[in-house]
Amino acid sequence: MVGKNCFAIASDRRLGVQLQTIATDFQRIYKVHDRLFLGLSGLATDAQTLYQRLVFRHKLYQLREERDMKPETFANLVSAILYEKRFGPYFCQPVIAGLGDEDKPFICTMDSIGAKELAKDFVVAGTASESLYGACESMFKEGMEPEELFETVSQALLSSVDRDCLSGWGGHVYVVRENTDVRCIFKHDHSDMILLRSIKYIEKELNMLLRDPHT
Amino acid sequence: MVKPAKGTTTLAFIFKEGVMVAADSRASMGGYISSQSVKKIIEINPYMLGTMAGGAADCQFWHRNLGTKCRLHELANKRRISVTGASKLLANILYSYRGMGLSVGTMIAGWDETGPGLYYVDNEGGRLKGMRFSVGSGSPYAYGVLDNGYRYDMSVEEAAELARRAIYHATFRDGASGGVASVYYVGPNGWKKLSGDDVGELHYRYYPVMPSTVEQEMVEVTGA
Repeated sequence: MVGKNCFAIASDRRLGVQLQTIATDFQRIYKVHDRLFLGLSGLATDAQTLYQRLVFRHKLYQLREERDMKPETFANLVSAILYEKRFGPYFCQPVIAGLGDEDKPFICTMDSIGAKELAKDFVVAGTASESLYGACESMFKEGMEPEELFETVSQALLSSVDRDCLSGWGGHVYVVRENTDVRCIFKHDHSDMILLRSIKYIEKELNMLLRDPHT
Repeated sequence: MVKPAKGTTTLAFIFKEGVMVAADSRASMGGYISSQSVKKIIEINPYMLGTMAGGAADCQFWHRNLGTKCRLHELANKRRISVTGASKLLANILYSYRGMGLSVGTMIAGWDETGPGLYYVDNEGGRLKGMRFSVGSGSPYAYGVLDNGYRYDMSVEEAAELARRAIYHATFRDGASGGVASVYYVGPNGWKKLSGDDVGELHYRYYPVMPSTVEQEMVEVTGA
């Protein structure tokens, strides 16, 4: 989701095989470089392989160009790599979020064969994507500051995964703004009271960290 | 051929003091959670309970129908129907609808003149008498905990805790189970609801989070 000179990217933490839960702390969001994050939903093995391939290509790019890739360029790279496997695809839906020139946030998502979907406000992917569309559409506001963006993204994520058997167990949320980058993991309870308390606790930490970007 | 499992977890077992019945409360339609607060333990009459697994409409209707038939039996014979009789009534009804697509995986638990009774009845007309049953997609996980911790001479509190834990562990591993773990006890004076705990809260009660771990993750990201 896009905010004012910042973006947030979030995922749930469940790893499962159909209905059976295998892990409750699975990492789905990867950092490509300081200002570019990639979330991969879908088949876990394809997500890991795709991430490794993309990191390899990005490192090559860094060696040749002596700079980091722009998010728009990276999105094109992902799209091309996915389309290479057009007739035997990776079963992944990537979500790309980064800060481009002049700290302008860039987000996009793709289907599993590389069809890009650019958006100005938010993008979603995964088994609960329909719920997520609804939640984001109703909660999104233009030009949110990082604290409010974090709150919005967390609530949208949690309310959607609560309606999905195959997602859950809390979330990872990354909020990135200019040269700061704050990661938060919050535990998930069905009880609203406890959720609110942990959000407030994280909010406090977030405020402390954002006030002083060099901690 | 493997039967597709009904998306739920229910269990019941007989012990020294009576029958313990427990269930989750999640209703799922494929991957979508349609409700987190479904009553899966149906009160047939003040001394008999039925559990719901499979089609909600099927279970609710046929349990209510069974309650009606039990009451008619009481009026006609001037005595309460036994658990054996009630489960047989239901099993015969379901057998006559065999192959028509009803989806019912239920346990009839109650206390009658012969003491505690527990029967498993399903939509194919199967009827089994037993001491421990678990029905639904989460049942393998519940059996693991239930079979391990079961003793015939437990107190009511111990049995309730075992039932609660078994449901909690099933909701942890099974995506189609969740919501609230309800526990009912059936004794000589009829059934009584003992507890209804949200499984999310049970998770942190059984496996509390250490504060230090959370603090560690609240720092700047050094690598993905």
